[in-house]
Amino acid sequence: MKLQESMPATKVERSAKFVKTGFQIGGNYIKHYSKKLFNPDLNRDELNEDNAADIYNSLSELKGSALKIAQMLSMDRNMLPKAYVNKFSQSQYNAPPLSGPLITRTFTKSFGKPPEKLFDTFNPVSTNAASIGQVHQATLKGKKLAVKVQYPGVAASISSDLKMVKPFAFRLLGVSEKELNIYIKEVEERLLEETDYKLEVRRSIEFSKACSGLKNIVFPTYYPDLSSDKIITMDWMEGLHLKEFLQTNPTQKLRNKIGQALWDFYNFQQHELKAVHADPHPGNFLITPDEKLTIIDFGCIKVIPEDFYNPFFNLVWNGLMNDKNASIDAFRKLELIQPNDTPRQIEFYYKSYKEMISLFALPYANKRFDFSKPKFFEDLYAWSDKITKMAEFKQPRGVKHFIYINRTNFGLYMILNDLMATVNTQTYKPVSANAY
Amino acid sequence: MAKATNKPIITSEQISDAYIDYVLTHNESPKSVYDFAKKLDITEAEFYNYFASFIAIEKSVWASLTLEAADKIKEQEIWPQYSSREKILSFFYSYIELLKTKRSFIIYSLKKHAKKLSAPEVLSAVKPIFENFAEDIIQEGLDSGELAQRKYFTKRYKDGLWMQFLFIVNFWSEDDSNDFEKTDEAIEKGINVVFDLFQRSPIDNLFEYGKFLARNGKFKEKMGI
Repeated sequence: MKLQESMPATKVERSAKFVKTGFQIGGNYIKHYSKKLFNPDLNRDELNEDNAADIYNSLSELKGSALKIAQMLSMDRNMLPKAYVNKFSQSQYNAPPLSGPLITRTFTKSFGKPPEKLFDTFNPVSTNAASIGQVHQATLKGKKLAVKVQYPGVAASISSDLKMVKPFAFRLLGVSEKELNIYIKEVEERLLEETDYKLEVRRSIEFSKACSGLKNIVFPTYYPDLSSDKIITMDWMEGLHLKEFLQTNPTQKLRNKIGQALWDFYNFQQHELKAVHADPHPGNFLITPDEKLTIIDFGCIKVIPEDFYNPFFNLVWNGLMNDKNASIDAFRKLELIQPNDTPRQIEFYYKSYKEMISLFALPYANKRFDFSKPKFFEDLYAWSDKITKMAEFKQPRGVKHFIYINRTNFGLYMILNDLMATVNTQTYKPVSANAY
Repeated sequence: MAKATNKPIITSEQISDAYIDYVLTHNESPKSVYDFAKKLDITEAEFYNYFASFIAIEKSVWASLTLEAADKIKEQEIWPQYSSREKILSFFYSYIELLKTKRSFIIYSLKKHAKKLSAPEVLSAVKPIFENFAEDIIQEGLDSGELAQRKYFTKRYKDGLWMQFLFIVNFWSEDDSNDFEKTDEAIEKGINVVFDLFQRSPIDNLFEYGKFLARNGKFKEKMGI
């Protein structure tokens, strides 16, 4: 196993990395337009592909929050052209690990002793990377454990990384800085929370307890005594990642079972707990040998405030969409329609967002929903493709909570699509606390 | 002799502890050995039995910390399994941890004797200790093939590590991050860069290939190709 031997260290080095990417993307555009001179039919797929490769290559060398951002971008598949998605999806698995003495150092700082003294055995070579940390296998009293160790300086570099990613985000998503800042802040908050491993342990225990009644889902046990702000110790879960699981050619029945577990997991949280595991990338799930779903990362939790939950899920669930005035009212609350919009703009955004939310709500509208059907996803892609080309959508709209709620739900849809599962969507229904 | 029996014999540790206490309280060296000895209730001669000067005390503090770090890391169970790269990394992490126990003094000592371009004089006793330690580890790396044997340059590897030593100690003395986390990063990255240079690299292969072509170019001419 090849250990990563260098990681761009300082802000300057990291910037240099991003600047280089900037040049490369610039170069790709030049390449694209010069080719286009001779071949007007050339579409942007190749260009997008080149860009995605360059961006991915530099992000994956950066690790930490930059890798996290790559993961985030790859989750928002609905917002990105396909070529970006395929490249970014690679970042969801195995980023290269860090050195042994630093792990020892981190343990000594937290517990006053090296890992081999704390555990009966400890494998100094990490089994995989977890974007802001890496996972090691250990045993204690005959129990197999997974030990997640955080890279030093991650929290400190998140803010500066986000500042550097911004210009790229503007380019990729085609939006302006001022409008984007509120969203960037939301992302920054979540990312910083993820670096607090003590918080993660506490939440993992809370959430696994709250979700313990769900069928076909198992959670690892967490060990607060063997955890610190930089280290998390939990049970080692045997199982296959989603991709590996799909390679085993599971039966439709099994796909549905796992898909249903996932659906229940997310909708139980959204509608019962009003707080949700907002990081549905495939690397966070395992399918155990006894055909159960297990969730191994509670770093990213989005609490859903009432003033978002009520207008949004009333639209999704209660068929409010057909009532134009009520919809516009809800859109105003969600800031999809803004105070100084003209009547023509109101009409336009009402129609567009109605279309989007109807799409989003489609799985809820039926008793059972077959996520294997490409039509639903093609419509989603088509819609997002259409809006990225429209001047009206250059500025992002909507309250900041949309970022993680969209990411969570579309992420869930994508995974269910990969699973080709049919699920009963009525298990945990949106709770309209009070009609507004 | 009689005198020694009624008064406990002073040790070098006691002298150096008293010295550290003095400089940290007064932020300067004592005015003279005479004055300092008087405060300790010892004779100047007793002082000179242990140290030739005040700076000699500082040097010895540094030296013993360095020796302690080098010894301590070898006690780790995992030590024999470490590569040369990891051994050096491990040294620096332990060293920084040890320096922490005397941080105020270390900073005082570095600042007082700071020199622009070369190593501060207080480190003159540390240098041979560190270089000895580093040379052993470099030799291990060369033997195992982890590090590349290069004409002229192999001898300079230890100098590269000494530069890192100075850099890391200085970086740490100015580090204000939580738990000196930034120093951890500086160590991890700095040492990895240096070891990447010590390893066999594409440049070596390029050089080898160049040599091969130069040698075999003539062969080609003779064959008339």
